[in-house]
Amino acid sequence: MFRGTELGLLIPVALLVALGSVAVIGAQTEKLTGSALVVPTAFIAIAVALHLFLVTTGSRGDQLLLPLALGLTAIGLVLVERLAPATLLVQQLTWTVVAAGAFVAATSIPRDLTVLARYKYTWALAGIALLVSPLIPGLGREINGARIWIGAGPVNFQPAEVVKVLLVIFFAAYLEEHRELLATPPRRIGPVPLPPLPYLVPIVLMWALAMGVMVLQKDLGATLIFFGIFLAMLYLATGRAAYSLAGLVMLLAGGWIAARVFEHVNARIVTWLEPFSDDLRFGAGYQLVQGLFALGNAGLLGAGLGNGMPERIPVVWSDFVFSAFTEETGFIGALALLALYLVLVFRGMAIALRAPTPFLQLLAGGLSFALAFQTLVIVSGNAKLIPLTGVTLPFLSYGGSSLVTNFVIVALLLRVSQVTARVRGA
Amino acid sequence: MEIPFQIALWAVRIAFLLVLYLFLIRAFASLWRSLRTESELAARPALAYLVVQRSHAQGPRVGERMALRAVSSIGRDSGNDVVVNDEAASARHATLELADGSWWLEDQGSTNGTQLNGSRISRRERIRDGDVVDIGRIGLRFEVQGQAAPGAGAPVREAHA
Repeated sequence: MFRGTELGLLIPVALLVALGSVAVIGAQTEKLTGSALVVPTAFIAIAVALHLFLVTTGSRGDQLLLPLALGLTAIGLVLVERLAPATLLVQQLTWTVVAAGAFVAATSIPRDLTVLARYKYTWALAGIALLVSPLIPGLGREINGARIWIGAGPVNFQPAEVVKVLLVIFFAAYLEEHRELLATPPRRIGPVPLPPLPYLVPIVLMWALAMGVMVLQKDLGATLIFFGIFLAMLYLATGRAAYSLAGLVMLLAGGWIAARVFEHVNARIVTWLEPFSDDLRFGAGYQLVQGLFALGNAGLLGAGLGNGMPERIPVVWSDFVFSAFTEETGFIGALALLALYLVLVFRGMAIALRAPTPFLQLLAGGLSFALAFQTLVIVSGNAKLIPLTGVTLPFLSYGGSSLVTNFVIVALLLRVSQVTARVRGA
Repeated sequence: MEIPFQIALWAVRIAFLLVLYLFLIRAFASLWRSLRTESELAARPALAYLVVQRSHAQGPRVGERMALRAVSSIGRDSGNDVVVNDEAASARHATLELADGSWWLEDQGSTNGTQLNGSRISRRERIRDGDVVDIGRIGLRFEVQGQAAPGAGAPVREAHA
């Protein structure tokens, strides 16, 4: 089946990666050489292969998802080329191929998406096992002070990324199962409404899990994202804002206590509030301070791709890609980038609304929210709106686990839209 | 560095931003187009109904028309799209689904089974206008709205109906 919209959108994506690469390599080598086209050629080959895969398998899924994901990945590759050492660029290209493979696999396995709902407790257990796996001696690795990695040989993987998807699948299945409770009014203790037990238990458990991740793994980003996804899906399933607001209050209270009791949480808060203070600006606050300078220097049009000084920010290719992109393309570049995320998330939510069963609705809604929320958390972290967390900017940051996971998310959204198309016979 | 090279480099940088916006605008345009089609589809009436033919005091009122979505669940549980309040009905009893232009009835492993025109079904059965579905003591007549073409779309379901 011909996928015209998708093909039409892939043309600007191909142009984007070619122009970006030429600008970046041109600024580095001070001449226009053919070597600037190596990365674009490899990327376009991957993009065309994915498009042809969907065409030949007769996919009737959404035609906007793949071009948006590939467009963001293209910008990401240009930025890795611009910011990171050459070895990381080769790794990122390899990971892009792996991510494309994961996308292909996730569009056909499992053959029926309802299998995901049937084995929900398996996914939940797998998620928890993955989450604690970095704490296992020998398997877990500590990189930049955070023990959130597992490694085998030269490959490092951040399991929290995959856990995110498993959590969404589990909650979609769990909340669908307990949907009948919507009709029952909440019990009350005095004036305080109490959610029914099947909602109350996971609220408390998820809160405990989130707190555990924050205290034991020192992973503030994962804490926020896991709990955020859960609260959003609880709201999607029940339509009761009070449950989610109560959860939010619990998170804030827990965070406040953690900041008082645990030094490493408190240090994060202080760095966030006063990164420019004398003892921080060349220490713990250095990265954030340099990132803020990059944002501040951006202006309307930016310094021009390849022409700024984002390499002053430590590990810029992972935590601060947004600041780097903004410094070099300015306010208008940042605006377009955020708008692309918005279109992607909007598309995902539209797919959720149209999906034929509550499980598929919650699945698509939860996955879209996860993408949106992670973008929000890291971009606001870069802008010093909230404390900085080490989560990746979806599709853009250097990092294999993140890229593979995000392509699986897009593949799952595509499949939900495909089920909808089949059911409607359209 | 030579001046022509500098100019070329700036041209590439500006072209990058222009293509970025071209991409965004095209993506936005397709988003807009599909939203318009969607809202036109949503304005149409439901495609099919189940009309209660036979019931009892605790069951649904005879003559009640229950609108069907593209995939509708039938069962005793209040979470179903079509709620059949009968002690012989299972919590999730059966589904009605519009697929490939036809409607299909499937039993979801219910305890007491689903009958289509008087005979118990064991697999996914095609269901046509005027067919009668029996679940417990409740009889439901399947009615297709007009002669709706396949793919005419189904009502968009509210987020938490």
